[in-house]
Amino acid sequence: MAHKIQRLPAPKPTIERPPAVSGILAPERFMKMLALVLFVGATVLPFITATPYIISILTTAMIYIVLAMGLNVVVGYAGLLDLGYIAFMAVGAYTSGILTTQFGLSMLETIPFVVLACIVAGVIIGGPTLRLRSDYLAIVTLGFGEIIRITANNLKVTGGPSGIHGIPTWSFFGWSFSDGLDIAGIHFGPKILFYYFVLFVGIGLAVVGVSRLGKGKLGRAWKSVRDDEDVSEAMGINGYKTKLMAYIIGAIWGGFAGTLMAGHLSAISPNSFEFLYSALVLMAVVLGGMGSTPGVIIGALFVSLAPELLREFSEWRFLLFGVLLVVAMIFRPKGIWPANAVLPFLKKRTIPEVPPTDVIGVVGLDDELAELPSEARDLRDTRDEKGEGQ
Amino acid sequence: MFQLIWNGLFVGSFYALVALGYSMVYGIIKLLNFAHGDLYMLGSFLAFVVLGGFTGLFGLGSIPILLLVLLITMLLTGGIGVLIERVAYRPLRSSPRLAALITAVGVSFTLEYAVRQIFGASPLVFPIRLQGAPIEVLGARITMPQLILMLVAAVLMFLLQRYIMHSREGRAMRAIALDQKASLLMGVNVNRVISRTFFIGSALAGAAGVMAAAYYGTIDFLMGFVIGLKAFTAAVIGGIGNLYGAMLGGLVLGLLESFGTHFLGGQWRDVFAFGFLILFLVFKPTGILGERVVERV
Amino acid sequence: MFSRTTRTKRALALGALAASAALVLSACSGGVAGGGSTDSGDGPIKFGMLAPFSGSEAAFGDYMKFGAQLAIDEVNADGGVNGRDLELVTEDDGCDATASVAAANKLVSAGVQGSVGGYCSGATLPTLPIFSEAGIPMVIPAANSTKLVGQGAFMINGTGTQQGAAAVAYATKLGAKSIVVIDDTTDYSVDLANQFAEQAGDLNVSKRESVNPDEKDFSANINSVLGASPDFVFWTGYYQAGGLLINQLRTAGYDGPVLVGDGSVDAQLAAIAGPDAIENVTGTFTRTPDMLEGGDAWVEAYKGVSGGAEPGPYSMQTYEAVKVLAEAMNEAGSTDYEAVTAALKGLKNFPLLSGDLTFASDGSREGGGFVIVEPTGDGGAFVLKDDLS
Repeated sequence: MAHKIQRLPAPKPTIERPPAVSGILAPERFMKMLALVLFVGATVLPFITATPYIISILTTAMIYIVLAMGLNVVVGYAGLLDLGYIAFMAVGAYTSGILTTQFGLSMLETIPFVVLACIVAGVIIGGPTLRLRSDYLAIVTLGFGEIIRITANNLKVTGGPSGIHGIPTWSFFGWSFSDGLDIAGIHFGPKILFYYFVLFVGIGLAVVGVSRLGKGKLGRAWKSVRDDEDVSEAMGINGYKTKLMAYIIGAIWGGFAGTLMAGHLSAISPNSFEFLYSALVLMAVVLGGMGSTPGVIIGALFVSLAPELLREFSEWRFLLFGVLLVVAMIFRPKGIWPANAVLPFLKKRTIPEVPPTDVIGVVGLDDELAELPSEARDLRDTRDEKGEGQ
Repeated sequence: MFQLIWNGLFVGSFYALVALGYSMVYGIIKLLNFAHGDLYMLGSFLAFVVLGGFTGLFGLGSIPILLLVLLITMLLTGGIGVLIERVAYRPLRSSPRLAALITAVGVSFTLEYAVRQIFGASPLVFPIRLQGAPIEVLGARITMPQLILMLVAAVLMFLLQRYIMHSREGRAMRAIALDQKASLLMGVNVNRVISRTFFIGSALAGAAGVMAAAYYGTIDFLMGFVIGLKAFTAAVIGGIGNLYGAMLGGLVLGLLESFGTHFLGGQWRDVFAFGFLILFLVFKPTGILGERVVERV
Repeated sequence: MFSRTTRTKRALALGALAASAALVLSACSGGVAGGGSTDSGDGPIKFGMLAPFSGSEAAFGDYMKFGAQLAIDEVNADGGVNGRDLELVTEDDGCDATASVAAANKLVSAGVQGSVGGYCSGATLPTLPIFSEAGIPMVIPAANSTKLVGQGAFMINGTGTQQGAAAVAYATKLGAKSIVVIDDTTDYSVDLANQFAEQAGDLNVSKRESVNPDEKDFSANINSVLGASPDFVFWTGYYQAGGLLINQLRTAGYDGPVLVGDGSVDAQLAAIAGPDAIENVTGTFTRTPDMLEGGDAWVEAYKGVSGGAEPGPYSMQTYEAVKVLAEAMNEAGSTDYEAVTAALKGLKNFPLLSGDLTFASDGSREGGGFVIVEPTGDGGAFVLKDDLS
């Protein structure tokens, strides 16, 4: 064991690497600052205007962000199309709804059960289908979404078609949001406290958690399986396990969003979990940018707030979303804010001219590249630009 | 008992007609055409419009007029299917499968909600309704329209089978299903054959839509959603990509639902059908008649 | 990644933001510290109405809006409430729980003093705590799920319990021996079916059946219905699936009476079922203006508000909800929640178009006012057949 492996020195780079960009306009730092500003803005907002309406729609919008970030793991990172994602939200909402109203647990105490229920649901549905062709998953998840909704509609314990009402808001060891809180002479009502809870805990977990997961070992495994499962298996990644992990983690996030929604609405019913809502969350992820944190946030905000801001629009939105999906896939498959986008005014690393080498090129390489999926082509084009826009 | 079987076979023949188009498109370009059920819906609405014009010209509708309308609608939905393939699917043929699937969802939404914006959300009453006194056969009630519709479905399926198995173009389709690049090298006009596949599949869905509208009497913009799901289930049960499999799967699913509803109650009907889909995918993913499919990379 | 200088910069930026936040906080009163709606005591009293103006139930939004507007115009012409005019504020709930919570909060933010909306029970349920926490009395014109009862809201429309009782009374009158109850798995429909079954008493409910309203083929369901050899069928769902079901029931050889709930009382039912199948079909419904003496004058007044459109289902109930709430506020002499609620509870036999109104202690309407109607009017419109008295 004492034998030490002799390491070979790394080969010298053929070209000088350009220095890293610095300053406030460096892409990574700029995005972090932007996120901080938005976060502080959202924190301050209730001090500026706290009408129940604004607080209510913003809370809903933030829950949509949590939901969309969860679906982003499944669709954006792992490349699995889930058409019944709202079913996990239903599992979460119903689990905490039943446990709080019928067994007297507090919202916090239901979280382990919600996670457990979502893992079980994720394994039941992902386990058999992830071994199969990827597009079977799309329909099976759709069928699963319907099964969950119909089951919730038919059972007594879920309250049948009228669902569960009177779900309490969150409480922690005897102290509940509904008690309100006075800090420095300012009274925070239950809705405002819940708003902050979703902002700090929900958004924090969803956005920071998911984007860091995406950058970690598991996240890189997801992306490699998405781009080419055979090659990544050759690299020692277990494709099936990796996909199942993505599916389960997505399920847990969806369930968490469900408990938040149950606490927010105080009443849930099966028709809040129809296929339409699965499609809506999918649209948020796809139109915003699959695998891109800022993109998904923009998409979720758009999908949840647009019908509030434009009342006339709510009649037309599904037609518009349908057309947008087709157009986006053809002309801008990576969404409004692609995963590796860099705002135009930010500094970029300049790519030096590649000196000619004496390596003989492969004949027709460019033709073959043209055959590759556009994502792979784009990867090649941007691989020298460091700094993902996350 | 015989009544249950008869009901199952009748509903199943609708599933089979829609499943055929699903299965054909999937077999040839490996695309799950999510909008296929909506072509069924579109067929019924087109027939509604065409019939409106016809009854204005020739007075009240009758069976021959309905058959004529059926033909016109099949041509129209077929044409729309080709158009959809051309506009939405062809540009993405070399893209990752996820992109094509999402586009298909987008097309489905576009069709559904465009129809909703034009015709409204409430169901419309179809101008022709096929009614007839039931005849008792072995204790089951069978009506004339049911027999006619099943006959039409059977004729359409027979013609399709002849076309695919015994014609030059059918052979081209089967060749593309096996290996698209190789058939291109052998001189098959791949684009044209794929267009033709979409035409036939969509026309069959449209035909099923017209027949369902004439039999049940109402049409609405979401009527294709459930049947699209069921048709996919039927295609998987029979073996996706397999012509006979789609027909068999449709009938089997119809029978399963008929018996399931009888023994479990109507509210569990869809759970039963989708539960079977998942069970089949776990234990026999290739379906009853399907062959082992290797995922193409 | 961050050097010391940038860390300082970040701290500075945070400080600046906090400072600006504090500034904003001190400058604004609309923030956390403000909030809530308090009645300023002058200006018009706002009545909020949640109804579906988009989605599949969109037509009902307008029916309800014009009914409410007519009542408000009449109250204002009579001198308003406590000397103040009434004003209607409508919001779209799209028959969807999430949208209705947002819309209810919007009404609270707009400072409404009373709520006279609520069509879909599923969308109305989550708005109850929002209105009651904001101290806004609620009179619900249309939504009538039994889950709404006893939560502080008052209901103009008869509940499923009362409609079930009316259906039981009618079935008893016809001497039904074997009854099949069919629902469409929606909230309202299952509720009504349960209420019927619970109150059936000596009547023999031989079979309960559920159909999926998104489908068109009910042959499998009908097969099990006929297996119970019924002589009375009660359909509790909506007219879209109801018409198809009746048609297929008739084709399958059932020609006995079919009773439908108020969700199916619509002229379209006859059109969908077909002229032969609609024979021997009746419905339970609360009275509509055209069934009443003197209803014509009301319809004319309604048309004046709606720009010529005919009143629809729940136009009159919404009209009555406004009248009832205005009366209660007059009696209470204020818009205070406790006082108005007490006044609503104290109403005895308040005269309305649909009959005298008294609220039971749980907020539902006593009696409910259900009658039996049949689709024999023009184009399949339902007309009064039996007032069950």
